[in-house]
This record gives sequence, structure tokens and C-alpha cells, in this order.
Amino acid sequence: MVLAVRAGGISIGYIDEEEEYIVWAVRGVDLAIEEGDAFCLVGESGSGKTTFASAIAGILPPHAVTRGKLYIFDRLAIDESTWNFNGLRGRVVSYIPQNPGTSLSPFLTVEDHFYYVLRDTLRYDREKSRKAAMEALLKVGLDRGVLEDYPHELSGGMQQRVLIAIALASNAKIIVADEPTSAIDANLRASVLQLLGRLNREYRVTLLLVTHDLASTSIVCNRLAVMLAGKIVETGRTISVLRNPQHPYTKMLLDCVPLLGVKKPLKPLPGEPIQVVEDKAICPFRERCPRAIDKCVEEPPLKPVGDEENHYVKCWRLTGVESG
Amino acid sequence: MDSILELQRVTAGYKSIKGFKSLIKRVEIVLRDISFTVEKGERVAIIGESGSGKTTILRVILGLLKPISGKVLIYGKDLYSLPSDQKLQILRRIGYVPQDPYRSLNPVLKIKYIVGEPLEAVGVEWRHIEERASEVLKIVGLPQSIINDTAEELSGGMRQRVLIARAIIAEPEILVLDEPTSALDVSIQAQIINLLNSIYNTFKVTMITVTHDLGVAQYLADRLIILKSGKIVEEGSVDEVLRNPKSEYTKSLITSYLQITGINSLNNIKIRG
Repeated sequence: MVLAVRAGGISIGYIDEEEEYIVWAVRGVDLAIEEGDAFCLVGESGSGKTTFASAIAGILPPHAVTRGKLYIFDRLAIDESTWNFNGLRGRVVSYIPQNPGTSLSPFLTVEDHFYYVLRDTLRYDREKSRKAAMEALLKVGLDRGVLEDYPHELSGGMQQRVLIAIALASNAKIIVADEPTSAIDANLRASVLQLLGRLNREYRVTLLLVTHDLASTSIVCNRLAVMLAGKIVETGRTISVLRNPQHPYTKMLLDCVPLLGVKKPLKPLPGEPIQVVEDKAICPFRERCPRAIDKCVEEPPLKPVGDEENHYVKCWRLTGVESG
Repeated sequence: MDSILELQRVTAGYKSIKGFKSLIKRVEIVLRDISFTVEKGERVAIIGESGSGKTTILRVILGLLKPISGKVLIYGKDLYSLPSDQKLQILRRIGYVPQDPYRSLNPVLKIKYIVGEPLEAVGVEWRHIEERASEVLKIVGLPQSIINDTAEELSGGMRQRVLIARAIIAEPEILVLDEPTSALDVSIQAQIINLLNSIYNTFKVTMITVTHDLGVAQYLADRLIILKSGKIVEEGSVDEVLRNPKSEYTKSLITSYLQITGINSLNNIKIRG
């Protein structure tokens, strides 16, 4: 078993403009993603999922501060406050951005996009990059004709496929996809997600999908972690978490997804996502949780759930405190 | 029947210029021969993918785009043949929530000015506006304290609530929503859907929603109009369309809709490990 990503107590924060305080987006996360996994980070805006994903992709902004350790294929990428993404960024880990329309240059053809990426990462020349581009386009189900097209000539779904193909052509072992479907139409979402799932299965690419939508998770990913206020509150195999959600936050997240053809009332989560300034050890869901108890002012440990393999949850309610 | 809005064989499009040398003006037709009626107090959703003409329909309804042919009747009056003052009178009865909460709010204006704008435009005195603004903020569930903030300080969900507050401040009879939840998280989306439905129930408005998301439409509408490349391909009640879709396009929309497969049918999905 090879671990593609291993995070040990990693915290990532952003320094406020006046340099007065640090907003911690990710707080002490331990996580292991196996090679070949399709792993999903689920959470609301501000939960730190994008920050964590950009740390893995090596594209943290310069005003970010880090603690803890992050290994990518046993290479130490983040060691406390030092970062070393050389040879990883773009080569081992590739990144698919959120909005395809604004991520491609309007003045470059699709072929040029491939060339500039492959020239920098793999030292390919024009001809070699064209060949690699055609292969990658075939894998994502696009015609080689799009090589001559400019991004504005393609639909949103096609642009997203081009971005996925670029990530594939660079022979990356890990693909980080940050909300790859939120900017495209509902009817194209399924096909883009199915494509990502297929690439993961057929080419053994490790996939890290970042999303706020549990429906996308269930289509592609075999494992997921639910993030809240910078912490992982529940993690496990997708099938066991969705069938048997334990954390009140996960349950409520499931309740607010519309199901087609089923008339159930939508139960929105109360309150707004919180921003964490002080690194206090409390349960991050305490103030919005309908089942909060006195114990919740302390931070619960990540405990295994029943007999389910790899299913962990961070809630006092489920660690036997409830009865006491 | 009490029809509040009627589109009669509307064809609409945009002028575009093709070619640098010739500068020939062409008209790109976006809507072709669209006819539908909205009754008073109805909730209607217009569904379609990007480029299907959903937003163009709204522009036609809002008096922003004169159709090439066909009539738009609001309260039985032909909107585009009215003199401009009467046209405005009618348009004031429509509240509009634009698509993107991040780009639809002036970043330097205080919330009270943004929300009060529709009343200011009809010459209501400022002290009344401020009072009314704090009333509608309460209705949409925003704290009074933000009234002197700018939009920059608000989250996406709060911005969307500000847009809704602005749309309802002048007590419109028709509420037009352009993709009200597509920029929001699923959890915030549920809040906004419930808010819109409670506004519908309290103020008895007629609600017209444009969306590409069938799941959202199911909660915000009783009747669906499915649009494809500028034409209506299917129309019917939500139950009817979802249970028994007639056109191939609607069927494909339903089958490609992302569901949480974990609850009923996760067994159908291959999971390794």
C-alpha cells in the first residue's frame, strides 16, 4: 500500500492584511490518501477544503502560513513552515481549477495550452506535446479537432474536459479537482464526474475531489472526508458514510440536498459558516448543533464507528458520553 | 382565467456584427416562437442549459429586450407598445433577483442604499425607505446590524438575501429569479429555497424562476417549462414532467441529474476496495 498523500497534524492559515492575526483555514488535520483512491473532501464555503487541496497541489498563496507535515509520495512537501514543491507541482500533482471559462487563456489555442504546460513540466517540444495532447484528448472523449480551437469556441463542458486532458497529459499521479462541476450546467455535471471516475479507475490516477455537494461525491469517490471549520469531522468509505452518517453535520448536509422526484422538506443548516481566528480546541459544530451537550466545549477525538472499516467520526455524542 | 403574464409567439435575439470589413449587422435569434401563460399566484420554473435562452426570456419579460416579433402581455397590456411611463408603471410591479450575488451588488454602497433603491427610484422619502429597508431585512433573515455595512463584508448566502430584500421592498406582484441558488453551497441553497417559498406564501406573489437545476426547480415551482435551443420542448406540472417526461431532452435531463446514490441505489455503482 502506497500512500499518495499523508498529512500529519497540518494547519494552514492566512495572515490578515494588517498582519494582526492569522485566520486558520485548516487546523490540525491528519489524513492519508492511498494511491489509486478517489478521495473527496466535502464541506461548506470556508471549511478549508480548497486551502487543503491547494496545499496538496502546491499552490498556496505566499501569505499562507503552515504548521505540521505534508508528504506526497513519501516526499516531504511541507515541513512546518518550509515548503518544497519542486518536482511535485505540476509533475506529480496536477490541478483542475474551478472555473474552466476563466482558467484558459482566451488568446491561446488548446494546442498552445498543452504546449506551455508540457514544455515546462516535461520539457516536451512542439511535436511531442501535440502527440501527447491528442492522446489525452482521446481519453477525455474529445476530437483532435479542438486542438486548433480557442477556448471561447468550446462549451463549458468541453473546456473542463480540456483542462482535465492537460492534467492527464502531464502524467501526474495525483489530480486535484477543485469544484470541477460548480461552474457548468447540471446536465453536464454527471458526464464530467463520470469522466473523472473513469480516469481514476482506468489509469490509476489518484483523485482528490473538492466539492460541497454530496451528490457528486457519491458518483465518483470511494472515500470521503467531511470538513468543517478546518477540521475533519467524519471520514470513511463513501458507501458507509452516506448510508450511515454519524456526525450531526453530515446528517444535516444530506438533508439539504434536493432529491429529484422525492418531495421531502429541505432542512437547511442553521447559521452561517464560522471563521476561525483563535485556535481553540472546541467542537466546531457546537453552536449550530441541535444535539449539543455540555461536553462539546471540548474538542472530541476522532473515534472509529462500530465495525465499519476506516469510518471515523469526531463527536462526543458517539463516544459514550451521551449516556453519562 | 387570471393570467398575469402572457408571451405570444415571441421571437427574440441579439444584434451581432460579423466580419471586420463589411460590418454587416446580423441578428442572432435566441428565442423562437415562444408562447406561454403564467397565472396569478403561480410558481413557474423555466429550465434549460446554457445558451437555451432562459435569461433572454427574462430580459424580454423585464422590458429590457424588445422581441423581433410576438407580444408580451403583462396584466393584459402589450408591454412593448405602451408609452414609456405606462411601461414603467407595469415594470414596477415586478421584482427581480439577478443571477450572481457576487457581481450584482455595488461594492461601495451601504446595504440600506442597495436595498432601498427601488423605493428611491419612485420618489419615496428617505426616512420611510430606511424603515422599510430594516423591515425587509428582517423578512429575509438578515441582522439589522448589517444595514450600514457594504456588500464586501457579506458571505454569498447573505448577499443573495440582500438581493431578495431589494426585489421585495417595493411589494411586487411578480417575482422573477435568475438562477437564485447556482452560486451557492448546497446547505445555503436549501436556506434560500425555503426563504423564497416562505416569501411566496406570505406575500402571495407570482414566482418565475429560471434555473438549470431540476432539483431546485422542483422546490421552487409547481409548473415546469423546459427550454432547448430557444424552443419550448415540454411544459407541465412538476409531478407530471418528472414522473412522465414526454420529450427525449427532458428524459436526458432527468437521467443526468446528480443524485446522492448512497441512499437507494449505491449498489449500482462500482466501488473498489
